[in-house]
Amino acid sequence: MDWLNNLLGPTVRQGLFQLIGISVAFVVVLMIVAYTVLAERRILGFIQGRVGPNRVGPGGILQPFADLLKFIFKEEIIPAKSTRFIYVLAPIIAITTALMPIIVYPFGPEIHIPFTNISFPLVVARFDVALLYVLAITSVGVYGIALAGWSSNNKYSLMGGLRSAAQLISYELSLGLSLIGVVMLSSSLDLYSIVEQQSGWFGFKWNVIYQPVGFIIYMISAIAETYRVPFDLPEAETELVAGFHTEYSALKFALFFMAEYVNMFTVSMLATTLFLGGWNGPGVAAFPILGIFYFLGKVIFFLFLYIWLRGTLPRFRFDQLMNFGWKFLLPVAILNLIVTATIVFFAT
Amino acid sequence: MSDYLTIFMFFLLAGLAIGSALALVAQRNPLYSAISLVGVFIALAGLYLTLAAPFIAAVQIIVYAGAIMVLVVFVIMLLNVEEEVRQPLRLRFLVPVAVLLAAVLFAEAAFIFFFVNEPAGGGGNAVTTLNQAGTGLTANIGAGLFTIYLLPFEITSILLLMALVGAITLSRRAAVRPSELVVPGAQVLPMHIVDPARIGDATPVEAHTTAESAALSGLFDRAHERE
Repeated sequence: MDWLNNLLGPTVRQGLFQLIGISVAFVVVLMIVAYTVLAERRILGFIQGRVGPNRVGPGGILQPFADLLKFIFKEEIIPAKSTRFIYVLAPIIAITTALMPIIVYPFGPEIHIPFTNISFPLVVARFDVALLYVLAITSVGVYGIALAGWSSNNKYSLMGGLRSAAQLISYELSLGLSLIGVVMLSSSLDLYSIVEQQSGWFGFKWNVIYQPVGFIIYMISAIAETYRVPFDLPEAETELVAGFHTEYSALKFALFFMAEYVNMFTVSMLATTLFLGGWNGPGVAAFPILGIFYFLGKVIFFLFLYIWLRGTLPRFRFDQLMNFGWKFLLPVAILNLIVTATIVFFAT
Repeated sequence: MSDYLTIFMFFLLAGLAIGSALALVAQRNPLYSAISLVGVFIALAGLYLTLAAPFIAAVQIIVYAGAIMVLVVFVIMLLNVEEEVRQPLRLRFLVPVAVLLAAVLFAEAAFIFFFVNEPAGGGGNAVTTLNQAGTGLTANIGAGLFTIYLLPFEITSILLLMALVGAITLSRRAAVRPSELVVPGAQVLPMHIVDPARIGDATPVEAHTTAESAALSGLFDRAHERE
């Protein structure tokens, strides 16, 4: 390895490592996302007493690739009266902002490659304000949907875009406030060290035990932030045809679709990291590689929760959504914050 | 190597900021201007990052790009603002004023750039009191806000609160609160048949059709008068 070290400076080497890390993380996440779609269709089928897709490959295992091919080969339609530039820009914003937060999540502890002296933590980028970075990127993500709704020049799309903007602003507050409790407990915004602080005590150091209210508020707000049932007002098909993506077809629609599931995945990762101890689990200290499986297992549990909710709950009405967000969730989040701050202040 | 990267990033972000700012002024469509402003904010956040102030960069994006501009875009979409038509300038005296103000700003920047080398002020200056290496870090900003800058911080909070109260007062001035015109199980009454003065403090009425609820609210006659 020495010749490689001499050839490349430390900055370039680090950059290359991070590039490899990003590629691996993206491929893994996108594969899981593709199979989440299949899992959702199969589980919904089970809940609704039907079979679901089972013809492409054994048990429907190749269905995501069939879907992808279909998305690629469908005709791209750009409405004549649309604002063309923004119409094309919107899905790009949606997918970019959905994928960007992935790099800060710690997928596992520091692992050591056998027979070498290389060891590295399973996180692409580790920095001081990782949590704020996630919140910042998430808050920019609304432009994708809002601009898609506006540029399509379609009243249903516009209503969907407006609803998404209003909903995101409303629930962003309670989401952020529910996370501050965890930040106060661990006095850090770095996700990796937040996870490290939750290790030990057979899982009794997980933040969900000290922040149960914050956890529930986070889960509800996260579902609203990702526009999933029962908060999927922006694409309510009974009133808005398909909401903001009514006019989108082929690969542009696929980008929105992917963005929705990647967002689901990232909020599940954030819940796992902050509240359920991230990669912590029995045996991680001896075999660090197990951490990945614990982490992904917890994330998949949250994804299942999402699908389960979709199969179970009806949709909110828009005024109910706003009342719930502002008059119930936000006060409870502030109260939780005050109580946590008081306890932290007197405990230290 | 990393120095070159920093300089390259600076010019990239500065170019993006200036380009977006020019686009913001030059665009005729208000929504394009708003998107350009988002571009300016994101470029500024990147510049803060190159200055080793990640917290400020993140807050810049969360507050400006993520919250304020979303509201602006929301309002532009809601009002369906049309493209502006280029009109001859009406307030011509503003042109020399603008030139003068720009000249003052440039002179100020040039003065600081060429003549001020040492940080002004002595002991009370935050830069000298706090650890200079960690100026942009979260913990130091928190400590600074609640010790040295406590008074400005509180004054700013009160200012924002006043703006909030003002906005709520202005929006509540109308006598009719739209939420109370919603009759459960029926449609919303069209606003043009509702007389704010007559309805006063309307209470929800159990009814099933628009006409029925209008009759119960005493609006039925007015609706016919208008026709």
